[in-house]
Amino acid sequence: MNYSRADLVQTNATMNQLRNAIYHLQRFMKRNNITEVRSRLRRMGKNIAHTYLNTWRPIEKVTFTNIKDVLATIYRNVLNSNISIEVDEVNKRISIQDNDCALCKYHFSDINVAGCEIIGSMVVEFINIINSRQNGFKIEMQDINESKVFGHNSCRHVYIYTGGK
Amino acid sequence: MGTVQWLLKKITKIFGRSTNSLFYTLLYREILKEIHEITENEEDSLLILREIGKRATFESCDRHTTIFRFMPGNPKKVLEYFELLWVVVFGKELSEEDLSYEIIEKKDSKYNDYLLKIKRCPICADYGNDEMDTFGFDKIVNKETEGLACGLAGMLESVANYILKVKKNEYRIRIIEQKCMARGEECLQLTCKIYDKIEWRELTSEKLQDKLNSNVVIDEVDEDVEIETESDFIEKIQEILSLDKIEELLDEPLEGVKQKTAELIREKLNMEPERFFDYFKNYEDDMIRIIGFLFIHLLNEYGGFVEKIFENETFAKIAGYLFKQFKEFTFLFIPIDVINDYHNLLVAFLEGLAPSEMIENIKAFSGKQDIEFLFEGAQLALENLGIDFASLKENVWEELRKERENGLISSDQTMRDQTEEQIPKIIKIIQEMLMLLSEILTLPIRVLVSEGHYGLKTAINSVISEEEGLFGQIKNRIDTIFDYIQELRI
Repeated sequence: MNYSRADLVQTNATMNQLRNAIYHLQRFMKRNNITEVRSRLRRMGKNIAHTYLNTWRPIEKVTFTNIKDVLATIYRNVLNSNISIEVDEVNKRISIQDNDCALCKYHFSDINVAGCEIIGSMVVEFINIINSRQNGFKIEMQDINESKVFGHNSCRHVYIYTGGK
Repeated sequence: MGTVQWLLKKITKIFGRSTNSLFYTLLYREILKEIHEITENEEDSLLILREIGKRATFESCDRHTTIFRFMPGNPKKVLEYFELLWVVVFGKELSEEDLSYEIIEKKDSKYNDYLLKIKRCPICADYGNDEMDTFGFDKIVNKETEGLACGLAGMLESVANYILKVKKNEYRIRIIEQKCMARGEECLQLTCKIYDKIEWRELTSEKLQDKLNSNVVIDEVDEDVEIETESDFIEKIQEILSLDKIEELLDEPLEGVKQKTAELIREKLNMEPERFFDYFKNYEDDMIRIIGFLFIHLLNEYGGFVEKIFENETFAKIAGYLFKQFKEFTFLFIPIDVINDYHNLLVAFLEGLAPSEMIENIKAFSGKQDIEFLFEGAQLALENLGIDFASLKENVWEELRKERENGLISSDQTMRDQTEEQIPKIIKIIQEMLMLLSEILTLPIRVLVSEGHYGLKTAINSVISEEEGLFGQIKNRIDTIFDYIQELRI
């Protein structure tokens, strides 16, 4: 009897090799003239969230009140990351800083799309699927402002939210 | 499984950057899907996934060359240490029940082939049960094509060959996935074949590009690129201390250990043991301090983990208090006779290896002095790494934090909150370490008392069996400590 996906949720795996693999995949994409690398990485993140949510979900409803805790929980439980979160209520922006990003560690001068695009789109999909039956709070990915892949000290994921309080 | 292999597995696991296993598996699936989007050919996709796995792993190994210099240097041993390869690649332990070996004899060859069967494969877990699991195994025509875990097989092959290259061995290993659980087969089955240099060159002469049926392009990389390693004194030490040699040493009784140590010093350092130890004559106390000093620096060697922790002032202070407490407990709880037994064991080990004058000097120390020298050396190293012992005061215990009612993790954790959260884990580690210490301390008495056997291993395992005896207890205790440390890192 093989492992189930529910079994996998209970354990951790080392990401070092697979993290490098994302950048080799990008090089392979570029070598084959694929221009929309970013949207492809984002598609990967969305697909991961779809399957992941069948096994684990952080909460039944995401609101403006609990969004920070939901994000902290997703980053911690899925990625083993401790993040800091800033919410800008004026511009409706959520900015997440991850000093130990699971998918970015080294600076690659030949890479122009950060691996954590996958993480950003996965997080968006998590929240939007959880809230899909409710007309309320939604988020979308704005940008990866900083990434270790580009030589920064940490990764910064910026989301825009709608729906408010 | 040998002790050192087990310990190295634990260390390797701790220093990798981990995520949840389900995230790992789904990311792996998505990489294959994206490759397939480009190739539109299932067989090509698997070939490219394997290649990406190999390249990604080579890159990772190349950043940590030092650790691989301690690994065994012949292909048979590398495969015998398969569980270690698995942990390097995957960070997950492979239970002994899940792994079985079969040797396929090759009469005309120096090495046999191996068949490895792994009962449970995390890559294939529940594959096919979700609408996103879309890879079309049914479209594969070529029966030689590997399965879903081919990327993993490529990673394992890459680690195995990296070790052989680092150890300047001429043989290479090919690891191929033969059976795949995602294809409905009963287990993950890998064949491992060992090739000499000429056979390997022939095998790898066909370019990956030529094997592909689709129009995709993949750059070739030179598989047999030389790995540069510095030729220094450390390298000589690493040759002596390679994993398999340490395992052999641990299996020998004390006299055998002495004999083996002497042989190794003669063989690798080209000098008589007496001359080697002569360097430390009249500096015996410093020699013991150096052991304590080096022990701490060795802990820090891999990734500068200890130093990184001490960059945080709070953690540096906690570690300082722990060290002080550990030092006090040693003299408070360990009977002086036990400490003296250790001293006698050190003297017994050096007799016949070191100059008699040096042995006399060491005999003049008491067991308590030995321990003090060790602690002095360790303290010096800890100061180097960032603990300011002068600023330490009395212990301060923090109250445990209550868990939040909705099960979510607070996003507003201050450094103080995070430290409070870590403290119960640190306390557990201290408890386990103290228990471990008391178990280890019963060791020299057993060794000295068991004259009939006069073997360290017999003494350690003298209770019932290896797993139930003292050795088993120590292993379990260290297992628990590693688990707690891992919790602390997340």
